[in-house]
Amino acid sequence: MNIKDLLFKLSSLDAVGNITAASDFAYGILSKYTTAEKMDNLTVIGFLDGKNDYTLMLDAHIDQIAMVVTDIDENGFLTVGAAGGIDIRTLPSRSVLVHGKKTVPAVFCATPPHLTSGEESFENISEIKLDTSLGSNAKDIISVGDFVTFSGKCGELQNNLVFGRSFDDRAAVTCLLMLAEKLHGKKLPINVAFVLSDSEELGMRGVRTAAFRVNPSEAIAIDVSFGNGIGISDDECGTLSKGGMIGISPALSKEVSNKLIEVAKENEIPYQLEIMSSKTGTNADMISINREGVKTCTLSIPLRNMHSDTEILSLDDLESVCELLYRYIMAGGVLNA
Amino acid sequence: MLNLLEKLCLLDGTSGNEDSVREFIIGEIKGHCDYRVDNLGNIICFKNGKKRSDKRLMLDAHMDEVGLIITAVTSDGFLKFDTVGGMDASVLAFKTVKIGDILGVISSKPIHLLSKEEQKKPQKASALYIDIGASSKEEALSLVSLGDTAIIQSDFTLMGENVKAKAIDDRIGCAVLITLLKEKSEYDYTAVFSTQEEIGTRGAKVATFALNPDFALILEATTAADIAGVSDDKSVCNLGKGPAVSFMDRATAYDRSLYNASLNSGLKVQSKRAVAGGNNAGAVHLSREGVRTLAISLPCRYIHSPSCVANVNDMTDMLALTRYMLNGILSGEIK
Repeated sequence: MNIKDLLFKLSSLDAVGNITAASDFAYGILSKYTTAEKMDNLTVIGFLDGKNDYTLMLDAHIDQIAMVVTDIDENGFLTVGAAGGIDIRTLPSRSVLVHGKKTVPAVFCATPPHLTSGEESFENISEIKLDTSLGSNAKDIISVGDFVTFSGKCGELQNNLVFGRSFDDRAAVTCLLMLAEKLHGKKLPINVAFVLSDSEELGMRGVRTAAFRVNPSEAIAIDVSFGNGIGISDDECGTLSKGGMIGISPALSKEVSNKLIEVAKENEIPYQLEIMSSKTGTNADMISINREGVKTCTLSIPLRNMHSDTEILSLDDLESVCELLYRYIMAGGVLNA
Repeated sequence: MLNLLEKLCLLDGTSGNEDSVREFIIGEIKGHCDYRVDNLGNIICFKNGKKRSDKRLMLDAHMDEVGLIITAVTSDGFLKFDTVGGMDASVLAFKTVKIGDILGVISSKPIHLLSKEEQKKPQKASALYIDIGASSKEEALSLVSLGDTAIIQSDFTLMGENVKAKAIDDRIGCAVLITLLKEKSEYDYTAVFSTQEEIGTRGAKVATFALNPDFALILEATTAADIAGVSDDKSVCNLGKGPAVSFMDRATAYDRSLYNASLNSGLKVQSKRAVAGGNNAGAVHLSREGVRTLAISLPCRYIHSPSCVANVNDMTDMLALTRYMLNGILSGEIK
């Protein structure tokens, strides 16, 4: 598989609520290389057997930020609620897709200039209406509860950087699928469970049941984290193209953090550190307190413009993350640490 | 005409940088009229009809669109920009742009790193920047130059009876004008595809001086606020109710005889119900000793954003009204 093609394909598909396209596609790939099963809703799990009882769980969430229709008026304008963190200031004039009986394009209203005072305040997403241009027919196609997703396309910038929607967290899904392909047929020192989990954006919900199902000994949550940009200080971001960010936090396992660093150094794989003072805001927070507790770490891909439909990342970082995880597994994780 | 509009909207041409639009239009009108390009880049067209009227009429549509201009490059290789023409900063963040052939993304702090207060405040253009993926100032400057223009990319998408695209203001005017110039005409008339409208109606000013018309029809797009949450008295005009004709805007008090003639045409037409906005009419009607001027505008939601929304039937109604006014004025039926 080509890493860019896979990322772009996963970005083009949706996975939120009852929309399972990205999840179905990932399941198709995962079942080629692992013993795969569909769990609830969107969650997909793939197992590779290392012929022992020590299991490393690798998690990437398959769901994406979205919006949900809460009202439909007579003229085909919709009111929506947020399903995940949406920067409502950036919605005016944005193109989206409404997933009704069929998928239809729509545009968020921008206040016309003669009605703006320049002192606008964005209090609530419900104030910004969505124009379907379907008039009274909107109600035949769209129902309250239908999902709305960004419609942005992927593209390439300089230096192997790419942009697109839902890279949070399809970037990590891409890494795990590439990794599954790479591990396929290899003799493994430990069991590996690939978890593509649901509902991270709604509060790390899907991973709870998935972690219970897998019952891992240790785990790594692969997600995106803030990439460098103007107005973002060095201590709150990683730098694009400098490798995956290994998490260090009171809520994470030092053993796993240290082993990841050791493996990266040994194999000359680029990496950077992400120091957090408490919980991580990723699925790692949930996995680590699964059942009787799991040694857990985060490995993050630096990403600019998080939660927009033009998230930017470096394909080099995806390669680094994939390689680091491969070497880490072949080294047996922290089984014998 | 929809096909033609699609091609026109997908071309990039900010004010002062209308080359690709001009080139395309010349390709379309060649052989259908005489034309020349003036010092400001306007295409000045002479359409020969079967007869010569004793009235000189000029049609105008502007080629330029709103956009961005690169003003500086940071040491990290990010590009700073200003807007060319009126663009609200709220429509800029996280959009894809093209600077020539180079792709970029208008970038900003992600929502997670904003304070609760910042999350409610409108975005300021000064806090935004373009990321082309360059890793240094030197690399960025090897790919783009200061003064290059950037255009937000947007698909041409059908939505019910409406279409969503960038630059409907004023590529619809260009599309109507091209269509008319390709038709056989009863009378001689002149037409201008003008430059620099969005930065102060500058191209039309010099073109009108050159052509010295008695009458002018300005083909435009105007704001339609027939959207949820806006009361009918503030809606200005409505999609699907035909082209809008103006009695007055912030730049022009229009010729009432022309305005009344258009309303009495029997064709689908509506009044623009606000004294808001302005267009080339402001420069045209004050040319030399004055020009009797009417603006015929396509109602357009979210104008000056990358997602203009306009009604497909309004476009053919706009063409019909323009043709009617053109022939009426030149035949002397419209006084």
